[in-house]
Amino acid sequence: MTATERAPFFDEAFLRRLEQLELASRRLTAGRMKGERRSVRRGQSVEFADYRTYTSGDDLRQLDWNAYARLERLFVKLFVEEEDVTVHLLVDASRSMDFGTPNKLEAARRAAAALGYLGLASMDRVSVAFLGDGTATPMRPLRGKRRTHELFTFLSQPRDDRLTGLAAAARAYVSRMRGSGPLVLISDLMDPGYLDALRDLAGTRSQLSVLHLLAPDELDPDIAPDARLVDRETGHSVEVSGDDDLVDRYRARLAEWQAEIAAFVSRRGGAYVPVASDLDLADLLFDVLRRRRVVE
Amino acid sequence: MIAPLALIGLISLPIIVAFYMLRLRRRDVPVGSTFLWQQLVRDVEANAPWQRLRFSWLLLVQLLIAAIVVAAAMRPFTASVSDLAANVVLIVDSSASMATLTGDEDRMADARARARDVVERLPEGGRVTVVSAADSASVLVSETDDRDAAVEAIDGIEATQLPGDLTDAFALASALAARDSDSTIVVVTDASGDELPDVGVEAPVLVELVGQTDANQAIAALSVVRRAGGAQLDLFAAVANPSAAEATRRLEVYADDTLVDARELTIPAGQRSEVLIGTVPAVSGFVEARLAGTDALASDDRAFTIVPAEQTVRALLVGPGNPYLENALALLPRIELFAVGERGYADAVEEADEADAPYGLLVFDGVVPTEPPGVATLYVDPPEDGPYGAVSGRIDRPVIDRPDPDEPLLRFVDLSTVHVGRARDIEPAEGVRGIVSTPRGAPLIGVGDDGGDRLAFIGFDLAESDLSLQVAFPLLMSNLVDYLVAGGEGILPLSAKLGQPLSVRVDERFERVRVTVRPAEGDGFDLELPVTDGRLTIPGADDIGMLSVSTLSEDPELDALEIGRAAVNLFAPDESDVTPGDPQRIVDMGRVPADDGPPPQPARTEWWWPLVLAALALLAVEWLLFHRPSRQRLARAVGRRPRALAGPAR
Repeated sequence: MTATERAPFFDEAFLRRLEQLELASRRLTAGRMKGERRSVRRGQSVEFADYRTYTSGDDLRQLDWNAYARLERLFVKLFVEEEDVTVHLLVDASRSMDFGTPNKLEAARRAAAALGYLGLASMDRVSVAFLGDGTATPMRPLRGKRRTHELFTFLSQPRDDRLTGLAAAARAYVSRMRGSGPLVLISDLMDPGYLDALRDLAGTRSQLSVLHLLAPDELDPDIAPDARLVDRETGHSVEVSGDDDLVDRYRARLAEWQAEIAAFVSRRGGAYVPVASDLDLADLLFDVLRRRRVVE
Repeated sequence: MIAPLALIGLISLPIIVAFYMLRLRRRDVPVGSTFLWQQLVRDVEANAPWQRLRFSWLLLVQLLIAAIVVAAAMRPFTASVSDLAANVVLIVDSSASMATLTGDEDRMADARARARDVVERLPEGGRVTVVSAADSASVLVSETDDRDAAVEAIDGIEATQLPGDLTDAFALASALAARDSDSTIVVVTDASGDELPDVGVEAPVLVELVGQTDANQAIAALSVVRRAGGAQLDLFAAVANPSAAEATRRLEVYADDTLVDARELTIPAGQRSEVLIGTVPAVSGFVEARLAGTDALASDDRAFTIVPAEQTVRALLVGPGNPYLENALALLPRIELFAVGERGYADAVEEADEADAPYGLLVFDGVVPTEPPGVATLYVDPPEDGPYGAVSGRIDRPVIDRPDPDEPLLRFVDLSTVHVGRARDIEPAEGVRGIVSTPRGAPLIGVGDDGGDRLAFIGFDLAESDLSLQVAFPLLMSNLVDYLVAGGEGILPLSAKLGQPLSVRVDERFERVRVTVRPAEGDGFDLELPVTDGRLTIPGADDIGMLSVSTLSEDPELDALEIGRAAVNLFAPDESDVTPGDPQRIVDMGRVPADDGPPPQPARTEWWWPLVLAALALLAVEWLLFHRPSRQRLARAVGRRPRALAGPAR
């Protein structure tokens, strides 16, 4: 099975580009599972992780001769060290995320898929969970590119969550959380308990990154005068009149809100990345997240 | 207030306020979350039909608009006293001089504004008759109290290319004024040489004078003479400069639309410059003279003339014999002269008719035929009454008055040294005018028309004058013969004046003819006109240019034959002198109002239109206010940065 067949989100060329990146983990300086990175410390574990093509300088002891006998090609077996990194990807799947053009939830799935693939390609343990209806729905942790299909399949499954209950969902995830490493929350944070959630996530040993995902319609709304705004998540409505500077005030409030979140996350050593759902994924990964040192 | 009932409209104000207090049925707009919106908007109680009235610029503007519209509907006015009578005859001059340009606008625009102002000044219940006057008058609206209709009629008046003649307009005004003693005649004019009637009107006349002094030059005369056997024509052109300053203009001559001559003419102020050009090819069909450049009046900067066909006219001189007359006539290239005594006249005419070579010109010297001859005729020293008028005696040693310098029949004719010993005292018939007269107006030489046949008379015996001994005599004879035997090709004269109807004789075999009008500017057109009893009447042309007459017949050999051509020119010195005239001579046409005349009429000036303008302006403000959010969104969309990353943490 090729990478392309496993990947409903991206084509093979894009996956190859992704392999140039890895998720940054500033809190971990040692004990990482080495994965594809050549190192004398590789192979200290007994847990098989993956294969990769042999290149000059690799330890000949790690060659899989059985594979050579079958395929007449040299592969090196990769093993997991016990101090490996766990990449936590939390995707907000509430109704409010299922909104916007492009759809925020779809954008979140793609971003999570890409980041998850980075983790798999780096032989990190990848833990993905949807947050919704006050709980977290995780999949079993994955490792190695062979699990890409599972990762993508999980991220592609339809969701029917109504409310976020972001704080409860985050707490639920943290309580069952195993392993530390990069923790990426992809959410619009449109939930009254967003600060509690961020506090809980930042309180772990993991490196928190918040991808604050908003639709272009939310960044720069085009609201006609005398409209009733209906909340997609709660069903509540808010009436607006022909108030001339309403949109301006909304934009100011949004900026203020983003600043509050950024400050909150920053104080806890995390990274805050506001993202529009129409942002090209390649730009997000290779430019924005790299500059924010979420990936490197 | 003319319409206080309109106050009822004020009920719209509380209705508007009520609309603002009434909760609107709002359009549902789904959003991802109202999380942020809730912090911005005070939620409105969901089911209350009314809401608290909040200040809104939109509401304020709409209330103002409603109040202003109600105020306008009440038709507020200020009372005043009108200087006009209840019945006003408004004469708007639309003669050629009204097309004089001052800056970008012609005088007509100013005249229309003045005329509209007169309508505004009408007293309460006043009626107005709007008359457009050029060479004749045309009633546009009659005795109406509908001011809008009057203004609409005024706005439709355009300057013509016709000479001005207020005679008809004053005749109309006089008739209207006679029906209502409380009448005023208002003339909007530049008073530039318009003809006035001899008799005044029984109503006060006011003049709204328009125009200012503008420099203008004009082609005052243009004619062409075919030299016998020559390959070229002699063109005579006169350029007048009625302005107060010397002017230099370039005169261009076109033969059949091809430039054949051009020369600079310097014309002293108030004078004219005449040129004789001998470079026009004789094969030309028509000749145009054009003043290059622009001046205040464009319509007199072009003139046309037809090149006369080379044809011979048989002329019969009837009389006892006059060597001066015979010599002068015989020298004319177009004339084939025959002479006969009084007794032989009838036989000579009969013989000529039988030979199908009728005489085109008869000259009676001291003789008057018993019956009008039915062709062009020159009478010399007529002893008795005739078609030219009534002869009532003799005038001894008549003095020759200074003739009109623009009289084409006296072109090159210097009569200043001519003396007459005795002349016939002739009272001209209708249609006959004197071109040389005594200071008391008795005509010595005259021309006219007798039922379509041209005639001229010299009212004295050539033997009792030294005219026949002077150079002026053959020139005068040449001009008179040219007038009598109209040059042109066929039935039309060489040149016709704008607005002047033409009545000419046409072969009785034709019942209808086609008249083709080709104005100097714009598209030409055809007219089909009837021929009645062998006579054709062509209405006066409105534009300078050319016209031609061709036959209409079921016989293919007789159909579409061109039987006449003529040039149409302004040649109106009074119109070309665009300096505004003295309005007093027009005012003097009217009756001076007596002190005990009708009391001043109350008038009122309505003020609804500024209110309507204000309402429109406020409407625009309302539109801006209403659409300001949309415009702000648009502005943001235009200037929007890439939306990839918004927010302060970038």
